[in-house]
Amino acid sequence: MGFLGKGLLEGMAVTARNFIGSYFDKDRLVTIQYPEERMELPENSRTFPFLVYDGTPEHLRCTACKICETECPPQCIYIVMDRDEKGKPRQRPKVFDIDISVCMQCQICVEVCPFDAIKMDNDYEKSQYGRFNELVEHLPDLLKRNEYYQKIKPTEASEVDAKLKAEAEKKAKKAAAAKPAVAAQPTRAPAAPKPAAMPAPVPIMKIAIPDDAPFTAEQRQWLAGFLSGLGAAGGVVAAPVTPAPSQAPVPATTTAPRAVVSTPTPSETTPTAAPAGDWPWHDAGMAMAQRMDLAKDKPLADKLMAAMAQTDCHACGYDCRGYADAIASSSESDLSLCLPGEAETASMLEKLMKEAGKP
Amino acid sequence: MIQSLTEEKSYTLTPGPEGTIETQTLEVSIGPQHPSTHGVFRMDVVLDGETVVKLKPVMGYLHRNHEQLAEKMAWLGSMPYTDRLDYFNSMTNNWAYALSVEKLAGIKVPERAEYIRVIVAELTRLQNHASAIGFLLQDLGAWGTPLLYAFREREKILDLFEAVSGSRMMCNYMRFGGVRVDFDDKTLAAAREITTRFPKFLDEFEKLLTENEVLLARCQKIGILPRELAINSSITGPMARASGVEYDVRKVDKYGVYGRFDFRIPLGDVGDVYDRYYIRVLEMRESVKILEQALHNIPQGPHIAPEVKLRNFKIPNGDGYGRIEAPKGELGFYLVSAGDGKQPHRYHVRPPSFINLTILEDMCLGQKVADVIIILGSVDIVLGEVDR
Repeated sequence: MGFLGKGLLEGMAVTARNFIGSYFDKDRLVTIQYPEERMELPENSRTFPFLVYDGTPEHLRCTACKICETECPPQCIYIVMDRDEKGKPRQRPKVFDIDISVCMQCQICVEVCPFDAIKMDNDYEKSQYGRFNELVEHLPDLLKRNEYYQKIKPTEASEVDAKLKAEAEKKAKKAAAAKPAVAAQPTRAPAAPKPAAMPAPVPIMKIAIPDDAPFTAEQRQWLAGFLSGLGAAGGVVAAPVTPAPSQAPVPATTTAPRAVVSTPTPSETTPTAAPAGDWPWHDAGMAMAQRMDLAKDKPLADKLMAAMAQTDCHACGYDCRGYADAIASSSESDLSLCLPGEAETASMLEKLMKEAGKP
Repeated sequence: MIQSLTEEKSYTLTPGPEGTIETQTLEVSIGPQHPSTHGVFRMDVVLDGETVVKLKPVMGYLHRNHEQLAEKMAWLGSMPYTDRLDYFNSMTNNWAYALSVEKLAGIKVPERAEYIRVIVAELTRLQNHASAIGFLLQDLGAWGTPLLYAFREREKILDLFEAVSGSRMMCNYMRFGGVRVDFDDKTLAAAREITTRFPKFLDEFEKLLTENEVLLARCQKIGILPRELAINSSITGPMARASGVEYDVRKVDKYGVYGRFDFRIPLGDVGDVYDRYYIRVLEMRESVKILEQALHNIPQGPHIAPEVKLRNFKIPNGDGYGRIEAPKGELGFYLVSAGDGKQPHRYHVRPPSFINLTILEDMCLGQKVADVIIILGSVDIVLGEVDR
């Protein structure tokens, strides 16, 4: 220590250096003049969630399985599954609301989503003039194209696309193995940019309506419901939902030639039966009554599986087959884990377990 | 309802000179909306002239039911809420919670994840201590200058946090068994850059403050916390070390990979406000040392244990307490798993800010009212953690 006031003078020299430096030294010139200037956001940067769709908004990846709704810590997500007039689930949300005044941007919904359907946006300019309805985002506000996701988070989005593509190919291979006697598949219209990235085809895809048939999406959906409803009513079993006769020991057979979406080239098809072919009820577009009917002469595990929502969403921690097996083998005692199946599945499981004499 | 303190009469007035009129004590309520209380915190102070004769801290204005909320949701669901405890140090809050759950569930963390945790925790300590000093100087009346210098450095660390975790303050970065996102080469380079430049900032900061005569006059021999009192009232962190208590959970528990680093624990000998200021400067220098070693030795490998499930995560019944050395002191989580083990049966936080604040009256008695503000500033509290 020197004289009294030396520390003060030294401190003032520091402030002077900072003051002068703030005019030309890049390290001391840190202010960004928002909104004229904007910082470049890092790729990981997150604000609020949005829903990804491929191509057109009806091809959204969300299947309304409600995992995010259950896991969301502040409970800001509200989902209602879309159902047709017969009450069959359409594998897509009718209502999807996020209250962004409650959302705390924690990203847990993104991490738990098995379909890569919900992702974090990086749009931070969300000011509104009101604080009630204005801060609730509904389904149309939440839908964003996959291209938008590619733009804001290129690395993450290409990883997701590659993963979904691999999954779709695997699924297609499996389906082809299960259904060998299939005519060549008409190629998809190039308008849909990423057909292979569809993780869970919407119900209409499983129905025997050729892709080039002149129907609108709504008409297709209606037809799909109509055909499976026809099957449930007895008489003809709907062609789309039964696998090839040689593969599945179902009571009725089908003769209709079918075009199956996502079938690979015929050279890839093999005549061996995949296990998936043994479960004619494994179709989320089918009504519960019809699924139970298809499984009525089967062992308990199959019946239990038919009661599930058939989305393989892993909300319960298993796929539909695994959950049924776990219940049947008594390793899982909780019958209420099927989120997309809602109360219908839970009560059916309870009924089946009661019938089987297992409390 | 405010309970009057003057009814308790546990103090005596200083008698005035012979022949002067009798004086009265004055009860002053500082806060809860006062800028110097660092949030919504109130002090009921009884003054005899300018001298404090009684002080009662009033807390709870920011109570958010954190512990009860955590007992109603899955284990993972509480992780983003821990960010909001001590919102300056979300990384260390995450780590304390993750460490407790890992201890309870018996999860082993990959080595790279342990190094990443050390890096983000020490960066957190740097920015916490720098801004704590800035706020202390703000309380002393140095309007803005030291605080903004500290914030300028803090901004670089927050930019790194945003690049790696997605958010500047509410990081939500740790997961049971590791961290959510791996450090890539760019982030590691940014961390190295911060580490090499930080000592220069510290030198400049010290030149501005350490020997400043005003700071010395205001801080020395003010708010002394004796060593015995610090131990008896469970004070931890820089506050205890400023009083000469050699206690640092990083050395005591050697959690994570802290046993591998060479660093020292700075200790104060008086325990006044100035010691609490200077201990933080020295701790930042030690943190830079730890960062240099961690960034040099970080191994390759997975950043998260692959066997840990995100959903339907269950913990066998039992209880456990995990603790770390957060920048403000020992932060611990006591967790009880019972029943199906899907959510905590009991979830208790041991918050360093709150426990360090309980000793406020003993430090303030006999001091002037203007010093109460800087004594509070030297405790370094965040009300999000005090009230939970």
